[in-house]
Amino acid sequence: MNDSNPPLIPPAINVTSAAVPLGESPEDRLPIYGIAAAMEAILRQPRRVMFQLRQSASGRLIWAMLLLTIVCSLIYGVVVGTFSGAQQLWAAPAKIALGMLACGVICLPSLYIFSCLSGSHARFVEVVGLVAGLLLMMTLLLIGFAPVAWIFSQSTESVVAMGVLHIVFWFIAAYFGLRFLALGFRHLSAQTNAGLNVWIVLFVLVCLQMTTALRPLVGTAETFLPREKKFFLTHWFDNLSKETPKRTNNTQASR
Amino acid sequence: MNSNAMTLDLPVLLRGEPKSLHWGIEEVRARQVVFYLSIIVVGAGCFGAAMGCWRAPLQAAYTALKLPLAILLTTLGNALLNSLLAPLFGLNLRFQQTVLAVLLSGTIACAVLGAFSPLLLFMIWNTPTNVSQATSAAYNAVQVTEVLIIAFAGIAANIRLLQLLQHCSGQRASALKVLFGWLAGNLFLGSQLCWIMRPFIGTPDLPVQFFRPNAFHGNFYETVWSSLGRIFN
Repeated sequence: MNDSNPPLIPPAINVTSAAVPLGESPEDRLPIYGIAAAMEAILRQPRRVMFQLRQSASGRLIWAMLLLTIVCSLIYGVVVGTFSGAQQLWAAPAKIALGMLACGVICLPSLYIFSCLSGSHARFVEVVGLVAGLLLMMTLLLIGFAPVAWIFSQSTESVVAMGVLHIVFWFIAAYFGLRFLALGFRHLSAQTNAGLNVWIVLFVLVCLQMTTALRPLVGTAETFLPREKKFFLTHWFDNLSKETPKRTNNTQASR
Repeated sequence: MNSNAMTLDLPVLLRGEPKSLHWGIEEVRARQVVFYLSIIVVGAGCFGAAMGCWRAPLQAAYTALKLPLAILLTTLGNALLNSLLAPLFGLNLRFQQTVLAVLLSGTIACAVLGAFSPLLLFMIWNTPTNVSQATSAAYNAVQVTEVLIIAFAGIAANIRLLQLLQHCSGQRASALKVLFGWLAGNLFLGSQLCWIMRPFIGTPDLPVQFFRPNAFHGNFYETVWSSLGRIFN
């Protein structure tokens, strides 16, 4: 035996792999205490979060994730609000935080039904945890984009340009959030992903419609909530066709 | 399997495990029946409320009552026919078992409807509701969405019912015959009951009512027939 041989490095477990059962790696079993640990775990060790959600005492982790989601939404909302200033500094954070939570609540029952119809043995609380994780992942990534969004909001007058920028950031955040959810769903021993795919489409539509239902998030308006109800695509096309580059006193172009 | 310790909760129903579903129709257990009825009343009630709120809050209350009622009355109205059809198509189920099987499939459908009611409510919240804003496009979009959700709930429930019937009979052919026999009967009666109980959504330019004044004048099939006549003449 040659003592100069380096020790074998154990194969790393892919954080996005569903092939390895949860809890197989000792890292998965490490408990998550506190808000900071939850934030770090969801970014670096999502399997650890999924494993903890399966345990009987997962309530504290879920609450921590929801609390973090609210805080991150409020911070990103302030950045969104700096584009117009004044009342938008509190209105935009409130609307974004409430809107994110509302999207989760609206879509949660259908995700649970889809998981059961797919043959999964998941408990309701596990599905709640996965949705909380999705929202947290999204809002954490939005926080990462916040400095970029702030720079742009200080250097442009166009409501449409800022709206498009925020939507692009939202889509990137949603991609990673939904990737977390999809991985978690596979660990629920669902026999098919068809239900999840339908649900993802529903969730994205609900979120996009929420941005229109709670408008203006960027820009200003006379009222806190819109008087006219619109489908989000109609609203987007209306804004694109009559864009007037003003950050305030333009209720029509508000997004 | 210890039948005393077993309960048929909602996830088990939705997963459609044949053995568990079969246990659910083996005999009448008061607790299970109450569970089925409560899911039907709550699930269909929530979906009905979301449907009706497009027109007015009072319509929401009416539809929340009428939708579960339509499902339960259809189950009761066809109970005898369904129990007669099952043995004719090669499936020896007792009367109470056929009622429980249909009730069980209704429970699955209503659970799905209930889960989708927040989504429907959100859609309706974003759709013009007052008469001046209400366009036929908005009304049609609401109708189409509701039909899609109801169709999905119906398909999910009938797939589970078919699995149960197949487990009971051991033959796919006879299970399919029984399912289609029951579906035909339930659709025939259910359509007429819904016709009598209309409105569910509420036409924007008609008043909010529990039943229309002409609820018992004519029937669903006459109306479809005369509509077809108008198209071709």
